[in-house]
Amino acid sequence: MSDYTKYTKQEMQAYAIAKNIKENQIVIVGTGLPLIGASPPKRAVCPSCHPIVESGLMDCSPVGVPRSVGDNRFMAHCAVQWPNVRFIGFEANEWLHDADRLVAFIGGAQIDPYGNVNSTCIYGKGDYVKPQTRFTGSGGANGIATYCNTIIMMQHQKRRFMEQIDYITSCGWMDGPGGREKVGLPGNRGPQMVVTDLGIMKFDEKTKRMYLAYYYPFSSPEMVQENTGFEVDVSRAELMEGPGPDIIKLIREEIDPGQAFIKVPKE
Amino acid sequence: MNKVYSLHDAVAKFVESGDCISFGGFTTNRKPYAAVSEILRQGQTDFTVWAGPAGGDWDMLIGEGRVKAYINCYTANSGYTNVSRRFRAAIEKGELTYEDYSQDVLMLQLHAASLGLPFLPVRLMQGSGLVKYWGISEEQRKSLEKVDDLKCVEIENPFNPGEKVIAVPVPKLDTAIIHVQKASPDGTCIIEGDEFHDVDIAVAARTVTVTCEDLVSDEYIRRDPTLTRIFGQCVDAVVHCPYGAWPSQCYNYYDNDSHALKEYDKASKYQDAEDAKAQLQKAAAKAEKAAAAKPDDEKLAEAAAKAKKAAEDAAAGTVIPETFKDYLDKWVYSVKDHDELLDKVGGSRLMRLKNEPHLGYSTRH
Repeated sequence: MSDYTKYTKQEMQAYAIAKNIKENQIVIVGTGLPLIGASPPKRAVCPSCHPIVESGLMDCSPVGVPRSVGDNRFMAHCAVQWPNVRFIGFEANEWLHDADRLVAFIGGAQIDPYGNVNSTCIYGKGDYVKPQTRFTGSGGANGIATYCNTIIMMQHQKRRFMEQIDYITSCGWMDGPGGREKVGLPGNRGPQMVVTDLGIMKFDEKTKRMYLAYYYPFSSPEMVQENTGFEVDVSRAELMEGPGPDIIKLIREEIDPGQAFIKVPKE
Repeated sequence: MNKVYSLHDAVAKFVESGDCISFGGFTTNRKPYAAVSEILRQGQTDFTVWAGPAGGDWDMLIGEGRVKAYINCYTANSGYTNVSRRFRAAIEKGELTYEDYSQDVLMLQLHAASLGLPFLPVRLMQGSGLVKYWGISEEQRKSLEKVDDLKCVEIENPFNPGEKVIAVPVPKLDTAIIHVQKASPDGTCIIEGDEFHDVDIAVAARTVTVTCEDLVSDEYIRRDPTLTRIFGQCVDAVVHCPYGAWPSQCYNYYDNDSHALKEYDKASKYQDAEDAKAQLQKAAAKAEKAAAAKPDDEKLAEAAAKAKKAAEDAAAGTVIPETFKDYLDKWVYSVKDHDELLDKVGGSRLMRLKNEPHLGYSTRH
């Protein structure tokens, strides 16, 4: 598709991620969409950011699209190749030092109104020990959600946005204000927003419940509510404009030309 | 001291059924696949596993029923298979005894083992299912000799009264297996690129087997001691094993074999032919139901016809898709050793995986 004025839902999502990375931020990325989202800032929008990955590779600037966080593509183009335990120590010390430089992207299968995320299993008729659907497990997500402000990536579907999720892999705001402190988690860290293919949710300062902050040119507040399994406040929602052709060209031609993570529809 | 063994002899001598074991590498990077294949061929079983960030290595051993207790933080050939399929199937069928920690905690546990710590306090996992739910119950743990009696305990920080932290046990590893770029006969190792948790498990485990791309002399490996990562006295066996991490990556040497990882992704959907027949039957029934619900939808009708044909072909035995068993027969059991495997993969295919030095990976495969 050589028409850069048209873009897909996924490209919009990647752009929404890119817009939320600020100058000099240290950005924890995984593979997939977050990586694509973090690439335009590194290349064009915000070259001063520092992408890092949970395997311990710091200040990554991959040329090819990595398929895993331990990929040679990260390893060959980074500043430091730390073992994973150094990464863990670094994120914990950022919090201990009261530094506010980190932002992290995590994903999951289910999310509740307080931004608690499940990436372990879906019970169905079973339970944790014998679930209907099993996923990979935490990976680095639990530790990241403990010490860092997070941006959560989700597909916007009713069965994923639930009042009650089966299992909390990565803690959000727990059950509301003060919830994190109660269980021993840093209270001044937590989910900042949820970026989906339909919009951007943020968390109310008082209640810590999710509300719709932005919808996209191709979505609407009604669509968001229809695809959310709990009541979501849409009264504050604003329209977010889509990406310009220069960003779309960058994503398609330079960042993911092989369409490893962002599929471009055929004309 | 010369610790050089053949792959067969190293695995026969240093890997025993019932071992508490950990492998080096990270999902699809520097995984000790040649050693895994040799274990599969020799038959060792009943492992208690500290898996680390695992992929096809442990998925194959789980699929073959060699795991007694699986301590997990992440299992996927990421970028190829979102969740390792035999791992997933074994859990969904209730056939795998497993426990979850976060990756951070599990890696810190392996690090704590390398430091010889008695237990480890962490400010992680609090409030999450990782503390609340135990995959292996306290009662079950008492009957498993190599599994700690408790998953974790909430304790108070003695130096900061009132602060709750989580105490976790430290692994007691019998065996570690790692694949490195260079090793010498006395066991000294050079790891190029990220060391991951490999140095930790090499220090912590009672016996350590190293497979290496290049076997170099003890003098040569000491030419630049800034590059060496593992003290030879930690190591019991050194095995010269070029492409020993295939089909995963090995930094400065080769890239993933994406064809093999894609083949494994597809094949590992089905445990064996019977499982393939049953799953295809189920898929056909589901597709038929979906099509019947929307009779005007041509795409659904087409998909249902296709699924029906696949199920019929499988049932009749005319076309059965490649299964996990087939994959293992092809790439593990039908070859007697690693040399035969390399011949089977083929020279040109291996050459295409070679890292392009200016990139650090390969664009040719």
